[in-house]
Amino acid sequence: MQLILAIHPITEIRFGENTRLDGTVLVTARDELRRLASQLPGIESVDFEIVHPGESCRAGPIFDIVEPRAKAPGGSPDWPGILGAPQTAGGGTTHVLNGAAVTLLREESPRESRGVTGFVLEMSGEAASASHYAKLSHLIVIPHSKPSLPVHAQQKAYRSAQLQIAVHLARAALDVTPDWTQKLDLSAAESRTALPRVAYVGQIFSRQRRPEAEEQILYGTDTEGMLPTLLHPNEWLDGALVPSYHTSLGGAETYFYQNHPVIAELYRRHQARELNFAGTVATIASADNFDRERSTHFAAHLVKWALKADAAVLTKFGGGVPHTDLSETARLLECEGIKTAVQVTDLARDRRVESALLFNLPEVNAIICIGGNSTKWKVPPVARVIAANSGLAEMLAGPFEIESLNVVGVANQQGASRLRSMVY
Amino acid sequence: MRVVHYLNQFFAGLGGEEKAGALFETREGAVGPGKLLEQLLGDGAQVVMTLVSGDNYAVENQQSIIAAVLEKVREANADLFVAGPCFQAGRYGMAAGALCSAVQAKLGIPVITGMAQENPGSDLYRETLFIIDSGDNAAKMRDVLTRMATLAKKLLAKEAVGLPKEEGYIPRGLIRDHFVEKTAAERLVEMVLAKVKNEPFESEMIPTAFAPVPMPPGVRDLKKAKLMLITDGGLVPKGNPDRIQSSAATRWGSYSIKDCADLRGEDYEISHGGYDPQFVRQDPNRLVPLDVMRELEQEGVIGELYDEFISTSGLANPLSNTRRMGREMAEKAKRLGIDAIILTST
Repeated sequence: MQLILAIHPITEIRFGENTRLDGTVLVTARDELRRLASQLPGIESVDFEIVHPGESCRAGPIFDIVEPRAKAPGGSPDWPGILGAPQTAGGGTTHVLNGAAVTLLREESPRESRGVTGFVLEMSGEAASASHYAKLSHLIVIPHSKPSLPVHAQQKAYRSAQLQIAVHLARAALDVTPDWTQKLDLSAAESRTALPRVAYVGQIFSRQRRPEAEEQILYGTDTEGMLPTLLHPNEWLDGALVPSYHTSLGGAETYFYQNHPVIAELYRRHQARELNFAGTVATIASADNFDRERSTHFAAHLVKWALKADAAVLTKFGGGVPHTDLSETARLLECEGIKTAVQVTDLARDRRVESALLFNLPEVNAIICIGGNSTKWKVPPVARVIAANSGLAEMLAGPFEIESLNVVGVANQQGASRLRSMVY
Repeated sequence: MRVVHYLNQFFAGLGGEEKAGALFETREGAVGPGKLLEQLLGDGAQVVMTLVSGDNYAVENQQSIIAAVLEKVREANADLFVAGPCFQAGRYGMAAGALCSAVQAKLGIPVITGMAQENPGSDLYRETLFIIDSGDNAAKMRDVLTRMATLAKKLLAKEAVGLPKEEGYIPRGLIRDHFVEKTAAERLVEMVLAKVKNEPFESEMIPTAFAPVPMPPGVRDLKKAKLMLITDGGLVPKGNPDRIQSSAATRWGSYSIKDCADLRGEDYEISHGGYDPQFVRQDPNRLVPLDVMRELEQEGVIGELYDEFISTSGLANPLSNTRRMGREMAEKAKRLGIDAIILTST
């Protein structure tokens, strides 16, 4: 499987007559986007705002962030299972508006599941410097869903609107020569046999929550009853996956599936001939021991027998319980002689090492720990607050104190975070 | 800079073990290693007072010696309190730790001490204090005092303190956030490759081993036993009267189930993020199994069920909280003469 990313760098988004690329400027039109959105079920109307890096601007609560990408004809579909037919993602050419983002807001505060502000996009100041998202030009989508829509239908409408808008924008690039292209494949070249085979095992959901009704996570399925499954790395990057709606399971955005930091790093080192990227397993964190035993054994087995890996890196999804599945999978792999490193988030609210991990397994001794529990920012009032209604705008007006974990991107669990827990 | 220095009988030159009972005393100016300390602190630093005690005296009279030291340090109008270094000397380390933590807490001035990692004082006080790792060799006095002086000056100037290996102090077992150049993904792949190549790597977090909790003896006669239900699943009466936090809870509550055979969803709510509460909301007996306990009570399988259940939220709860709450719950259960407790979690 070969995926070609046709990269179009974007430095600015602007409203104009219609959607097109003008050099590195993405021009789009409110009315055109509104017409598109008005055809979507569940959406009554949509507003749009544009923000750029460094602007005195704050937006929230964030539903999700998506990089505008569109498939060239002849490849796999756009968002298979959600927008397109549920065929295998990751083949053909994908046009990428690199530097741009489509960012959709929620209409309600997630309240205590994520703190009252929810995830906030900060475009300037100290908090912004800690998130990759502050470096992007955002088309902010402010949905107004139909009244009395059940929560699951509302969120499904959000997802669909956001992905449709992102694809629509990127289609403007289909006939434009990209600035550069990147070829992604794992075709086994000869003389690579001496390199270690490294696999990625990534959790894509945590059964701490049940998926919402009709929630679309992997090829449009909600992952209920899912066993760990083999995915080609290109599938992660090219539309097979989106994160869960549940705000309490934060730390993953669609943008970082499309630009998956772990997969990108494994590809980079694969191409630099430092390792053989053996493939990936998508898995789920369990809610009970029976499920956990089945799932962790299954994942480890795939890594050993299907991917024939010498080593594996593992990431988790959601909160504390997923530590258990993560570490148990790593332990089983180590018992099979497969070296592992795992990435966890810091759980120590009291800043003590003894509270940081939910496992203590001698085999699982290579741990990357994303911090965040001791970092808060006092964010100032900003020139522009973007929110779905005046109540939310007032809440986000500032000044207020925000935990780093609630600034979108800062404590990302897909590998993008630059936060590190230091033991002292 | 005015410094008060604490020494044991040996380093103050009184003598060895035979003088371990020496009473607490005060000397003007620097004594023994205090002279070198003064020099290393530089900038006109002056050890204005040296406090001396025999090791046994200090350990046996900890409370009175703490009070005396606090008074002397206050009197001396000190900017800095230094104890030791104590190397392997266990009683000396215990006294130095106790005195430093008292001065730090009560007088709010910087304190510094030094001892070996194996010194029992290190285990007790390293979380609270910066303790320079002295090793066990007292011949390294100059080196240890240099590091103590360097760190003390940083603390006085309120400068950022580096990591243990940079400053030479014993790791405190605490966590702080750093923003680093490499993303987590880059660090992750780098670490696994180091492991594959058998190269050294530094794990960013250290698992903690906990001493096993010994199993209590079995309940001798369940038919006569008084049982209690405790949950950390966050079940609370509607309105959450004790305002138990849904995450990292610091409080717990005890709620009446007197004359009640069955918990009804409409009377309760869940204060606990992190799990899907809909099933417990439908039927709280799924979390706090009152219905079956009442049946067992009726059938005479158990003696009686205590007429309150205890609840808190276990979500993201650090051990410093849960240890305290567990102790408080255990005390209550003991006081009430409870024979056995069923703990339910989520």
